[in-house]
Amino acid sequence: MAKIVGIDLGTTNSLVAIVNDGVPKVLAGRDGMTLVPSVISFDESGAVQVGHAAKETQVEKSRNTIFSIKRFMGKGIDDVREDLALLPFEVAPDSEHIIRLKIFGRDYTPPELSAFILRELKRNAEAALGEEVVNAVITVPAYFNDAQRQATKDAGRIAGLDVLRIVNEPTAASLAYGLQEKKQGTIAVYDFGGGTFDISILKLSEGIFEVLSTSGDTHLGGDDIDERLIRLVMSELKQTPDVHQIQAIRKAVNLAKEELSRKDSSQIAVDALGYHKHLTRSEFNALIEPIIERTLTPCRQAMKDAGIKAPDVDEVVMVGGSTRIPLVRERVQDLFGRVPHTELNPDEVVALGAAVQADILAGGKRDMLLLDVTPLSLGIETVGGVLSKIIPRNSTIPASATEMFTTFVDGQTNVKIHVLQGERELVKDSRSLAQFELKDIPPMVAGMPRIEVKFLIDADGILSVSAQEMRTGKYASIEVKPTYGLTDEQVEQMILDSFEYAEADIEARQVIEARNEAQTVLAATAKGLEDEEYNNLSSDEKEEITAATQYLQKTLSAEDHRAIRDAIDRLSHATMRLAELIMNAAISKALKDKRVREIQ
Amino acid sequence: MNYFEVFGLPPLLGIDTRALEKTFHELSRRFHPDYFTTAAAEEKSRALRMTALVNDAYRTLRHPTKRVEYLIGLYGFKSDGSKVPQSLLAEVFDINEQLEEIRMAGAASDVLLENLRRQVHLKREKFEKDLEASARQWDHLVTGVADEALRKVHIAELSRILSESSYIRNLEDEIENRQGHYFKPGR
Repeated sequence: MAKIVGIDLGTTNSLVAIVNDGVPKVLAGRDGMTLVPSVISFDESGAVQVGHAAKETQVEKSRNTIFSIKRFMGKGIDDVREDLALLPFEVAPDSEHIIRLKIFGRDYTPPELSAFILRELKRNAEAALGEEVVNAVITVPAYFNDAQRQATKDAGRIAGLDVLRIVNEPTAASLAYGLQEKKQGTIAVYDFGGGTFDISILKLSEGIFEVLSTSGDTHLGGDDIDERLIRLVMSELKQTPDVHQIQAIRKAVNLAKEELSRKDSSQIAVDALGYHKHLTRSEFNALIEPIIERTLTPCRQAMKDAGIKAPDVDEVVMVGGSTRIPLVRERVQDLFGRVPHTELNPDEVVALGAAVQADILAGGKRDMLLLDVTPLSLGIETVGGVLSKIIPRNSTIPASATEMFTTFVDGQTNVKIHVLQGERELVKDSRSLAQFELKDIPPMVAGMPRIEVKFLIDADGILSVSAQEMRTGKYASIEVKPTYGLTDEQVEQMILDSFEYAEADIEARQVIEARNEAQTVLAATAKGLEDEEYNNLSSDEKEEITAATQYLQKTLSAEDHRAIRDAIDRLSHATMRLAELIMNAAISKALKDKRVREIQ
Repeated sequence: MNYFEVFGLPPLLGIDTRALEKTFHELSRRFHPDYFTTAAAEEKSRALRMTALVNDAYRTLRHPTKRVEYLIGLYGFKSDGSKVPQSLLAEVFDINEQLEEIRMAGAASDVLLENLRRQVHLKREKFEKDLEASARQWDHLVTGVADEALRKVHIAELSRILSESSYIRNLEDEIENRQGHYFKPGR
């Protein structure tokens, strides 16, 4: 079958990997680098740059450069207000249920923006493998909810990928570590990345990786450490920095943070603001301690849910760039009482694991099997705004539950079901997932219909719902209104848009570039016509210049860059002798002037 | 197919969880959707439904209390840990009164709360033992020649003990939460 790639779509960096002859390998991009920064920049002409190129101009073009978009996946504006205060993004209206960022007059949702990164990875993989890549496994934080998973899948579809599986990052990492050679044991994977934190406890037995429990925080990562440092710098500045300056501060604190993992002290240097601050590792540790503490609570919860205690853990695996911080390693070691594994590059291990999972799906490794869980309990709203849990958290997926519903009014043909995720008792404290409306129920006396509704969470951790009226055996049709996400129709439209956009994008850019060049050539020609050397041309040559100029002017309005380029070539050719004459005259004039000066 | 049948087991409450896990792994290797990526849509959806059923069954059967809950459900009974069982009314009233006093006590409440938790925990252990004993009786009945009527009587008995023990368990959880062990999930 066609090759399946593994993709780590990260908050800070993204990677693509594949298994070759049984060995997972990260694929390098055209620039030779394996990490693609998850940064996207736009310009007026509609051209888009992704990765290193976009990251380089991040501070100057801060308004049109998008980063950390993963933190916005499956979110509404109320979820991310705090982040937005320090971000240079312009939020479009109508962002209540799905964030829309306005860039050069066009609105983009997080799945569309993530699709740009995925497209770049797809291209990189295609260049490296020399064949088209369509099938992919994409990783997500284990603690991602339904909406966030669905948004990731949507991003894949928009990028032209067939997403065969959504895999949890910590679980993928455990596959990459080759721990199956140990045969048995309990593994804790501590995954602290740029934007998210996950902890997963796994039980390994004869090639089966069974996740016992998972916990985390999808809004806790290196970005939060950066934000803390940014706020520290801002509190010490005399003036309030503007959005561009904040991005300069962000870059400076990030460099200092990274250096503090290698050295005992560093400096936060924001040259543009004349701000310099010496920072020791112990000062830094004191600042980030509360953030690291926030990762330990989910660790304890995960152990409790798995029914184990710290000494039961045989191996601890560290994943994600933030685990390079010495204090993080220290705290994790204290908690589990053993030295964590840090042998594999924490930036690459998830992508490598995704490639291993892709290989399993492709039929490569049949001895390994991953049994993952759903991170959050699934419930339905019942009378009084109470959440009735139907699939508890940490259930192995795929998982299902069946509930019976009926009608309250005679002849009622519709029933609404509100589905939520979360651990709290009340609907208002839980995360709304979707409203399902059962339609076309045969009209009967109130309470008579017996509608069996089946909730199914698939291996991607995504919910689907089906319903059947038991008395008539008729399947009820279901209309789904996702609370924080796109409907199928919206995704379809985005795929179409991105298609047109991808093609129109290149086409438009080429036309704009050709027109700019044509204007330059036309201006140079107009200047040449005024030069006295023009009179030294033959009448044939003069006629051809006039004809070629008119032809280029006429072609200029066409939306065809090739025609414009041809017309430019014709005019360049026609004016070649004139250009030579002018050049020669200029040279001899320069020589003459020189002689005149020497005589004087 | 009921959960017992999925695992090829008779409807007994005494289950060897090691053997159950082994069967779970075997069934997973046979039906998991990972092995059907290239299969036809119908086969794929069958693998998905089958694996979900295997997982649902395993989740239920490996847990002694959920196992009882499922069994009584097969006989049309439902245990509800949110309503106070008649037999516990007086005791629950007493515990709630103590909880209220502790709340008023303020600073000293931690010690008092822990004492109350231990008290409730002992009750919980007693109900769990009762449930175990009743479960063993059930297995005895089923492997013997007990008729359907006798089984139903015993199921009703199981259902009563289950409701009591669930209620007490919930009560202990609630006290634990008040002790500050409450875990607040992230966004």
